[in-house]
Amino acid sequence: MHFSDDDLRAALKRKDPGEGFTQRVMARVEQAKAEGKTQPAKKSNGSGFLLGWWKLRPAWALAVAAILLLGFAWGGYEYAEYRHQQIAQQERQRLEDLKPQQEEAEQARDQAILALRIARSKLNHVLEQAQIPVPADKIRRQRL
Amino acid sequence: MNHKTRMLRIFATLILCCMTARGFGQGAKLQLDNLNKLGDKAARVTDVTLDGSLLSFAVSLIEKMDEEGDKDIAQLKSIIKGLQGIYVKSFEFDAPGQYSKADVEAIRAQLAAPRWTRIVQSSDKHTNEHDEIYLLKNGEHVAGVTILVAEARELTVVNIVGEVPIDKIAALERHFGGEKNSSKSKHKKESGHDDE
Repeated sequence: MHFSDDDLRAALKRKDPGEGFTQRVMARVEQAKAEGKTQPAKKSNGSGFLLGWWKLRPAWALAVAAILLLGFAWGGYEYAEYRHQQIAQQERQRLEDLKPQQEEAEQARDQAILALRIARSKLNHVLEQAQIPVPADKIRRQRL
Repeated sequence: MNHKTRMLRIFATLILCCMTARGFGQGAKLQLDNLNKLGDKAARVTDVTLDGSLLSFAVSLIEKMDEEGDKDIAQLKSIIKGLQGIYVKSFEFDAPGQYSKADVEAIRAQLAAPRWTRIVQSSDKHTNEHDEIYLLKNGEHVAGVTILVAEARELTVVNIVGEVPIDKIAALERHFGGEKNSSKSKHKKESGHDDE
């Protein structure tokens, strides 16, 4: 498409806006201001909905809040129970793993006590046979 | 003598001391395996072998025992903490003459001087009983004790390695290890050892 200088000149020529131009502009500005105020309310549609619900049905809103609260409390309790059981299970497993070691230690203790009992018995027997006075503590007990 | 050589000599001396101490500890342990054959003839056998980690287990459990109102447990704790090994072989027979003189001599040969010192010896020809107590000393400390009791129907060898407080063992209560601590050891039959 080709434009001549005359065409451009004619197109860009000053034009009279007509009567009431200022009023029309001001009216549009006012309208834009009014629209600008209501715009954010449109954006927060969700909270507006809840707020609206709260205003319209306070009992229902309370009930939903209570249910949510109970749900969270129950969930927390269940989780705490689950953790408690898990820890108890781990502790049981640990004790189970230690059981053979514990039994071995108890057996060793009993053997040590048995060995010392025999040692004491034989020691005192030999001392008595050799007519060597046994420790004073023992003599005192025997007299008692 | 430079610093490096001196440090090396100190280090070598320390190693030698440790080896000597260890050797002394091990030297107190007797070879009692030759008596195992008597197990078949004996009516009652008590065999206790306790050293190394097993003895450590026993010591740790004994140290945890509540000594409230029981002097024996306190005594037991003080006895056991210095021990390195406890070995007992005791055989009771239904009839006399079940073990030979050679069996006893094999033990006695290991208790030769100068390392071991016989501190008590008693023999009774009427009952054919021969009892001995030997001591292994490491300087001023006792490094081991062996009690050998050879009766007509019984042969017992108690070999304790480590710092053995004999007086404390002898002074243990009469009931010690009886009702309070029932033994579940691996011996063939429960020994009837109590005060004779």
